[in-house]
Amino acid sequence: MFWMQLDRVMGYWPVLLKGISMTVSLSILSLMIGVMLGFAFGMIRAGRNRMLAQIVGLYVDFFRGTPFLLQVFIVFFILPEIGIELSAFASGVVALSNVAACFIGEIVASGIKAVPLGQSEAAASSGFTRVQQMRHIVLPQAVRIVTPALVGQFVLLIKDSSVVSAIGLLDLTRSGWVIVQSVPNGLLVFGIIGFSYFVICYPLIYLSRRMERRGQATIL
Amino acid sequence: MIEFSSLNKWFGALHVLSDISLSVAKGEVVVVCGPSGSGKSTLIRCVNGLEPFQKGKLIVDGTELGGSEASLRDLRMEVGFVFQQFNLYPHKTALENVTLAPVHVRKLSKAAAEERGRALLEKVGLADKMENYPHQLSGGQQQRVAIARSLAMQPKIMLFDEPTSALDPEMINEVLDVMVSLANEGMTMMVVTHEMGFARKVADRVMFMDRGAIVEIAAPETFFTTPKNDRTRDFLSKVLQH
Ligand SMILES: Nc1ncnc2c1ncn2[C@@H]1O[C@H](COP(=O)(O)OP(=O)(O)OP(=O)(O)O)[C@@H](O)[C@H]1O
Ligand SMILES: [Mg+2]
Repeated sequence: MFWMQLDRVMGYWPVLLKGISMTVSLSILSLMIGVMLGFAFGMIRAGRNRMLAQIVGLYVDFFRGTPFLLQVFIVFFILPEIGIELSAFASGVVALSNVAACFIGEIVASGIKAVPLGQSEAAASSGFTRVQQMRHIVLPQAVRIVTPALVGQFVLLIKDSSVVSAIGLLDLTRSGWVIVQSVPNGLLVFGIIGFSYFVICYPLIYLSRRMERRGQATIL
Repeated sequence: MIEFSSLNKWFGALHVLSDISLSVAKGEVVVVCGPSGSGKSTLIRCVNGLEPFQKGKLIVDGTELGGSEASLRDLRMEVGFVFQQFNLYPHKTALENVTLAPVHVRKLSKAAAEERGRALLEKVGLADKMENYPHQLSGGQQQRVAIARSLAMQPKIMLFDEPTSALDPEMINEVLDVMVSLANEGMTMMVVTHEMGFARKVADRVMFMDRGAIVEIAAPETFFTTPKNDRTRDFLSKVLQH
């Protein structure tokens, strides 16, 4: 019985593969946008302009404090009401990049604040502009401090991408729903789906753990 | 070169610098001493604009402080600052620490900056440590890299804020030696330090500060042998004991 079902599930490998590639491409694209936007958020949050920092802080807190599923619905169902028509994939990327940027921004801000003030004072004393201080002195150190936390966040975001199956994207999670229609063994099917997520995420988990161990040695 | 006129600064209600008037000539070496919290660091940090002030005037190398960001940056290229805690860039090698500002601020070519950087690191006795990262260097070596880093900008003025206070005693001299040779080359310097041997040897004037004010300033012979003020005498008796 079990082996027959496993065999049937495996017969659905094109669906599974489609799901995996959707989850992977959605995650990679969103993480790239999220990282870029997140660094901008982080620099503003740790920056000198208090007003701007607070506005971004409020924005970030809003998205960190509401369910991601709700955010996906807002992008997919409510934005069209005000004339912004997005495909399911684009909606998924928008929602996921946005929430990624919010979490990454706070991590980056904490890293920037962890770099001793003496570093930017030394750079300023040599005539570096604020932008140069950030780029050559502060950010490289901040990134080293927060890399393990960032990678950990990436893992959470890849898992969160499963939520976009709710708007009909055939991602890894949804491919499970599709397969389970014809192979009625939820444990088996979603066991395989879960394992696939793990295979995608494990390299990152491993990387983060290694960096954490190494980080303690190299960062003063 | 450096001209304070009735400069006043407050941290909230705390009057950290009161009515500072002082002029430091080109090539002069002024040593600043005084008890903890008397405002020595705040004073020299004003000179390169690390601390803003509220009242009075400060002109450094012809530039008045409190102007635009751009004029402050131009000024900072001419004024080196050496910190008590070194503040080397931990993610850069000794040589990179020294070449970073010449390349990005002075816009020197990488090759020219490296040539200058190597020469300076050699001069401070670190020819064999160029590729080392700060955490691989002793405190005295780090501070010498920090001095070389400032010198790489070819400044007209060097400021030192207790450059040897964070060092183990056996490393103090290697740093002071570098500073002595710099003074002998005619660099204009303001040095906050309690190393009175250094003050005797190279200072043109020694200044004693207390509670944000200049209490006494005189040539070293006068300052050490016939201090006028009671507080100066009291302070000297404490620092000269060890
Ligand atoms: N950023 C700051 N905010 C508020 N008060 C400050 C600040 N920096 C310094 N102070 C205060 O200003 C006074 C002068 O400080 P400063 O660091 O200039 O003293 P100092 O003479 O260098 O002392 P030390 O020998 O301990 O280095 C001290 O009372 C100090 O507590
Ligand atoms: Mg001080």
